Amino acid sequence: MKENSVEDFDSLFVEKKRSGVRYIVLIIVLSVLALTSVYTYLSVSSVRDRMKVAQDKAEGSPQINSSLLSQLKEKAWIESRLKMAAGDSIGLSIDLEQRRIQLELKGVVILSSKIRDCSISGFFRKMDGNVYFNTFGTPLTIQQFKSSIAKNPLKVVEAPKDTIAAQAAADAAARKDSLADENVFWTVKLDRDFDLDIQGIDSIAEAHNKYKFGKGFEFERNLKNITNSFQHILRFTKPSYTPEILISIPENEAKAILRALPRSALVTIRI
Amino acid sequence: MIRNFFIYLTVLVVGILFFASMVLFVIPAFQESTIVLTGLSSSSAGSGEAGTDKESIEADVSKLQKKLDSFTPTNAYLVVNTSDNHFFLYKGKQLIRDGVCSTGKNEKLVSEDRKYEHIFHTPYGVRKVLRKATNPVWKKPDWAFIEDGMPIPSANDPSRWETGTLGAYKLEIGDGFMIHGTIYKRRMGMSVTHGCIRLLDDDLEAVYKTMEVGSKVYIY
Repeated sequence: MKENSVEDFDSLFVEKKRSGVRYIVLIIVLSVLALTSVYTYLSVSSVRDRMKVAQDKAEGSPQINSSLLSQLKEKAWIESRLKMAAGDSIGLSIDLEQRRIQLELKGVVILSSKIRDCSISGFFRKMDGNVYFNTFGTPLTIQQFKSSIAKNPLKVVEAPKDTIAAQAAADAAARKDSLADENVFWTVKLDRDFDLDIQGIDSIAEAHNKYKFGKGFEFERNLKNITNSFQHILRFTKPSYTPEILISIPENEAKAILRALPRSALVTIRI
Repeated sequence: MIRNFFIYLTVLVVGILFFASMVLFVIPAFQESTIVLTGLSSSSAGSGEAGTDKESIEADVSKLQKKLDSFTPTNAYLVVNTSDNHFFLYKGKQLIRDGVCSTGKNEKLVSEDRKYEHIFHTPYGVRKVLRKATNPVWKKPDWAFIEDGMPIPSANDPSRWETGTLGAYKLEIGDGFMIHGTIYKRRMGMSVTHGCIRLLDDDLEAVYKTMEVGSKVYIY
């Protein structure tokens, strides 16, 4: 009888310990779900707010007849490129309808590349005519560049002391001058509060695998997004929402465009 | 005790992974699809801008397109891609020749005493052919001597004059920059020049014969 009661007591204790583990696991799971729900709610409202702001900005402009939308888009596209042509700087024109990206200088197309792959935020697809023309009706201005390679590299070289040192330096430079295998990915912030990302790829399959799950530069971006999200959750504030346009073009052209564009270049986009 | 620790750890890691995947992939996809709920996405069905109809917009588009096209020179012009070291020669808006070239090496040469600095870079933008010449003689500037580790001679010292280095032709495009030939053919297609645009002999001849004084050179 005595032995039996001891066994009962032990089994009760083990049961209690198991329940404790269960409770802690349950608390963790519920916390994650709660955090995710709160974050989802805040994220959704931030997109809606962003669209509301865009619509408020477009308020007062003449109403667009949706049956004339494609003609008006074509007109706005050319007008915007003409405005870009009035300046002395190299500008970028992106035609997602024809899937073409171009460098233009004083109205002359100096580089034209076929877009191999592209994806745009749903925000752009949900724009009505007024918001569209308010956003893309005139050239946008680049505000910030970030890139996986140096934008305008400049090597500082000290003058050689004599002709022998000069010859050695020339030989070394010739040996080093092989084509470097670089991943080209760059992103710009545009003045109408959205990002343009350009990735250099040499095949479509590469476009789908190379940057999506994050390597190097893109991994840093993803990590920053997660950190930023956590900070917003802890403060119970809405996370910032920035619509994006991601374009994949051949690597050498992605590099050439990055190098050619001035820091505050104008960009014309047609979607 | 250890078993419990691993259970907590696994739950925590799975939770973090779940949250990260939601933040990175699921929520961004979901959040944009909800805009439709706000009713902002529907296209406006306004009556159109005052005085606009399909025909008048199309007429405007055609006029604007003509204006934009008029910026492209109808005579010969050259486009130089310094990133790929490639040139494109156009005439009457048609590409008539392209090939490799060499452009600026993007280097800053600094003398030992730091008194002298020179940047070897091909400037971007549009320029015009200012002068053309055959069998050009090169007057070596100071940087050519500094780069070779030699003392800088006087301004008109005979050692400054070199024949053959620039090839058979040169086209001056301003600020000391030129389009010319080279004796270093092995290094064509590389960024190795001091800012000038080097072409192979046949390409240089074609460019020289096609481009007039005043023809435009677009560099990016």
